[in-house]
Amino acid sequence: MSVTEPQEISRRTFLSQGAKAGGAVVLAGAAGGALAACGSSTSGSSSTSAPSGSKPGVGTGSPVRGGSLSVGLVAEIDGFYPPNNHWDTNGFNYANAIYDPLCAVAADGSIQPYLCQSVTPNATFDTWTMVLRPNVKFHDGSALTSAVVVANFQALQASLLTGQALTQVTSCTATDPMTVVYKLQAPNPGFAAGLTTQVGYVVGQAMIDSVKSGNARATPVGTGPFVYQSWQPNDHFTVTRNPNYWRSGLPYLDQITFRPIPDTIQRESTLKTGGVDMIQSTDPNTIKRFGGQSGYQVVDTATGVLGEPTVAFIMLNTAVAPTNDLSIRKALAQSLDQATIQKIFGGGYAKPINGLFLPDSPYYSDPGYPAYDPAAAKKLVTQYAASHGTPKLTLLTITDPRLAQVVQIIQNMWNQVGFDVTISQIEQANLINDFIAGQFQAATSYQFGAIDPDLNYVWWSTTTVKPIGSIALNFPRNSDPVIEQNMMTGRHTTDQATRAKAYQAVNDQLAKDLPYLWLQQYLFTEVATSRVQNFANPTLPSGAKQYAYDEGIFVPTQIWLSK
Amino acid sequence: MPDDRELLDTGASSQLLGDRFPGMAATDEAVMAISTEHLDGGDVLAKKPLGFLFWFAVTWVALVFLAAILANVLPLQNPNFQNYSALNQGPSTAHWLGTDDLGRDLLARLIFGSRVSLIVGFCGVAIGLAIGGTAGLISGYKGGKLDIALNAGSFIILAFPAIVAVIAIVTFWGASLLHITIILGVGTIPLMFRVIRATSLSFAQRDFVIAAKTMGATDTRVVLREILPNVVPVMVTFSLITVAGIIVIEGTLAFLGLSVSLPTPSWGNLINEGTANNALSTDPYIMMWPALSMFLLLWSINLIGDRLRQRFDIREGLL
Amino acid sequence: MGKYLIRRVLQLVVVAFVISVLTFLLVHLLPGDPTTVILGPNDTAANRAILLKQLGLNLPLWHQYLTWIGAVFHGNLGTSYLNHQSVSHILATGAPVDLELIIISQVIAFAVAVPLALVTSRRPNKPLDNVATTSTFGLLALPPFVVAPILVAVFAVGLGWFPATGYTPFTQSPAQNIHEMILPSVAITAGSIAVYYRLLRSDLISTLQQDFITMARSKGLSGRRIMWRHAFRPSSFSLLAAAGINIGALIAGTFVVELLFVLPGIGYALVQAVEQRDYLVVQGIALVVAVAYVLIQFIIDFIFTIVDPRVVRE
Repeated sequence: MSVTEPQEISRRTFLSQGAKAGGAVVLAGAAGGALAACGSSTSGSSSTSAPSGSKPGVGTGSPVRGGSLSVGLVAEIDGFYPPNNHWDTNGFNYANAIYDPLCAVAADGSIQPYLCQSVTPNATFDTWTMVLRPNVKFHDGSALTSAVVVANFQALQASLLTGQALTQVTSCTATDPMTVVYKLQAPNPGFAAGLTTQVGYVVGQAMIDSVKSGNARATPVGTGPFVYQSWQPNDHFTVTRNPNYWRSGLPYLDQITFRPIPDTIQRESTLKTGGVDMIQSTDPNTIKRFGGQSGYQVVDTATGVLGEPTVAFIMLNTAVAPTNDLSIRKALAQSLDQATIQKIFGGGYAKPINGLFLPDSPYYSDPGYPAYDPAAAKKLVTQYAASHGTPKLTLLTITDPRLAQVVQIIQNMWNQVGFDVTISQIEQANLINDFIAGQFQAATSYQFGAIDPDLNYVWWSTTTVKPIGSIALNFPRNSDPVIEQNMMTGRHTTDQATRAKAYQAVNDQLAKDLPYLWLQQYLFTEVATSRVQNFANPTLPSGAKQYAYDEGIFVPTQIWLSK
Repeated sequence: MPDDRELLDTGASSQLLGDRFPGMAATDEAVMAISTEHLDGGDVLAKKPLGFLFWFAVTWVALVFLAAILANVLPLQNPNFQNYSALNQGPSTAHWLGTDDLGRDLLARLIFGSRVSLIVGFCGVAIGLAIGGTAGLISGYKGGKLDIALNAGSFIILAFPAIVAVIAIVTFWGASLLHITIILGVGTIPLMFRVIRATSLSFAQRDFVIAAKTMGATDTRVVLREILPNVVPVMVTFSLITVAGIIVIEGTLAFLGLSVSLPTPSWGNLINEGTANNALSTDPYIMMWPALSMFLLLWSINLIGDRLRQRFDIREGLL
Repeated sequence: MGKYLIRRVLQLVVVAFVISVLTFLLVHLLPGDPTTVILGPNDTAANRAILLKQLGLNLPLWHQYLTWIGAVFHGNLGTSYLNHQSVSHILATGAPVDLELIIISQVIAFAVAVPLALVTSRRPNKPLDNVATTSTFGLLALPPFVVAPILVAVFAVGLGWFPATGYTPFTQSPAQNIHEMILPSVAITAGSIAVYYRLLRSDLISTLQQDFITMARSKGLSGRRIMWRHAFRPSSFSLLAAAGINIGALIAGTFVVELLFVLPGIGYALVQAVEQRDYLVVQGIALVVAVAYVLIQFIIDFIFTIVDPRVVRE
């Protein structure tokens, strides 16, 4: 079992480098095309057991004040300071309790202001003016001003972790106490989407100063619905109600305690014994084990994903043998029986996926990904073997019991068509190192959950391909000018139809180039006892519904506990 | 372990009454006679029948070893053959022990897995005994500078966090059956050393050893003739336990992904597979068979050892 | 006594030094470094160089070692590169957890193994002995990561007698703490019971066959008196030696139980630190644990001298 939870390589931890114009993102007050077309309009929830007349995660009756909620998370994080700490889904679950992001995603997929009151671009999308909400106080009583936001930005820009993502911003200045102006290197209509990610969470000046003076474990200070109380790494993180929260009347809970519980079965057992009220899970079988059980509500990402879902796939290195041979990659793809994999590895819940988009996405079109055809695969392998000998490859993965299961299935399917596959389980850190340096042939991975495909640009761009041994973010080293071109088109246009076509073209190319062998959607699940009300039904300050369960991230603000 | 060996001269070191109370020499004779009696109530002269259980144990051990050796020629199914329409099945005519979560035959995996586990277990302990046991035997007896040095050495190995060492070694060297056996074998060296040294030391103080030395026996003879036979019972007991321990530790290594590469079965990683992914609920057979096999094997070997010991009357403590 | 102590301290220092060097080397020679974990995909060459410099990891190994050892002598074991916890804090919060686990589990182990051995060694191969032997071999075949989920399924989820995970410090709530530590302790006890029982029984059977026992019998002493006063003490050597080793193994081996029951112990912290190349944490924990282990050995050795009057400490 992996002691450190696999860290999703996602846009949330790496804001795309939007160097050129393009991308369509709707902001409050701005006219134009909407990302609304992306994804269904309901917040993600699967209808499983819930009191009659209610949906899981949607509260019934009037909110009850008070009470203490405990949540079992999948893994621990390293810290709460955005410039210095890597946030995965667990990190964002912590963050949503004590901080607020500048912008947030609405249930219709649009980007809406949250901590800020508005953020408007100029006509050329290279200057963005942000007006902050008045009368917002940090937990230490200091006021939210533009100076603080600018200080946040400067810390982020100076950081090794987040600095790269912000190179597109040439200046960030406070033009008056409540206004921040961002000037960009080049036009980027998608700029505001970045403010929903790690770089959009605002911390108090006291915390920035504390870290600057050398205190790496500075007390978290935010504007969020709950106030930091205590943190014992790998044990618990406790927060208490913020009585001066700027969203009046909120939150309802008095206290939340987060507990990282790495082992899935133990986490579920803790829920069953009442040790926690709610859990998160990345094992689709959790749905099987709790779905339909009275007393529990299950919400998962099998439905209602906005944008692109997180996908589990096998990544192939197109720059080393034998995977540099397209016919080999095709054979590898054709020998995978997705239906069987989905049944065993996905518990029957995770849908097989043949590209970046799920069928209910507006960007979906059949990309022509190779279908399961072991006979054809065998032919290709035999042909290859005739001139090159039996193709040997090593399938890399981390030491996780679920992945251990799926790689054995995949090894089996590949061996049956003539490959000679060795499995190698290594540590997470080493795996990422190998990806970055291109020292792999095939490996398991999961990525690409994003509200907008443009946020995945760095992973597919020709500009991020580097030789083996050098650091490259296009891990498979798939240098495809058609993909590059279409990503740029998607970035430049605000017209939905053109965007859809462009990203479909990207999807088609990926199906042709085969740097990724799609396995299935990577599901996130949350289960709560029936006492926990409204954990999947958050609303934005404007009153519109917020994206309820964003790939494993929930919002604690409007949760209450029924008596 | 105490370094200094001066005997405390309280007179209690002598176990002969005659030495302390001169008039008791006759009692000594009687004691000698009584002391040849067994404590288990058996008659020392009649040979005890070995019994049904003994033969059952012998059969089981023989079966396990033979199956492991002949695995390739036995009519077993392919242990790595995955049958996706026969997942998590219980015992049936098609699969005598059932199938696992990937539809692989559990009987085949058990038998092929026994190879890895038996090799790792027994060879590992053999390494430990050969090096650590011998060192402990000699060191416990001789004492002195050698003992101090070896003692410190064993301290160092034992005090070193094993998990760091294993992760490091496996990362550098790679995980193969040979490497894992050697790593685990080397890991048992300090254990064997310590336990056997302790026993050797306690016997080295005994009168019969001192007597032998006084009579002019060389060190080698003393060690081999006087000390070793007395150390053997503890050695055997402890070795058996260590075999079990190693097989199980290999399972923990599999848990951490540091053992033989998938899909090679071993009892350890079968047990691990049988507890991961909620398998205890969905298919308890995966874990059950290897655990049961290991248990039966240990119990059998132990029983055989016990019965043989009784039968051939290994005694200690006689002058 | 003085000479004895000096010798002991010397041994301790030597062992500590060697362990510190070995751990340092091993962990630094592992491929990769903390930058990947800290920076993730942002681990560009430039960033990596900067971060390594910031962390002092670009200096030659001997330099890093001396800096670290120097700091240790000043009581500063360093901090984690990842979550910036001080190593001392990790040890201070983790040690009580593991100590408690070990104490409770060893108490249970001795409480079961010793009486059982004392009883069955007098009547070897009778039914009770056979049952005990069988059961203990069964225990050996079940490692903690198997026993733990079964215990949780039966006693936590099934019967609701114990919590499934979690840890409350003893100082905060003793009752809650013990309540939470029972299942984890039982999970790691199994192997110990088996080892202690088998060893003690074997030793006892041998001892009971010796002359002085026969002598005691001939004097008319009762069985129980023989067992306890005459047989147990000499037989306990290998048991003590095994206990010493076992406890050492447990110190590092509590990792699985800590992971499963979410106990913030040292074992889990150590494994995580190795995986994340959190050098200072690994080195600090290894050093302190090694020193603790050696001290425990010394204590056990001292007990030896009390138990066996035939050997004496100078």
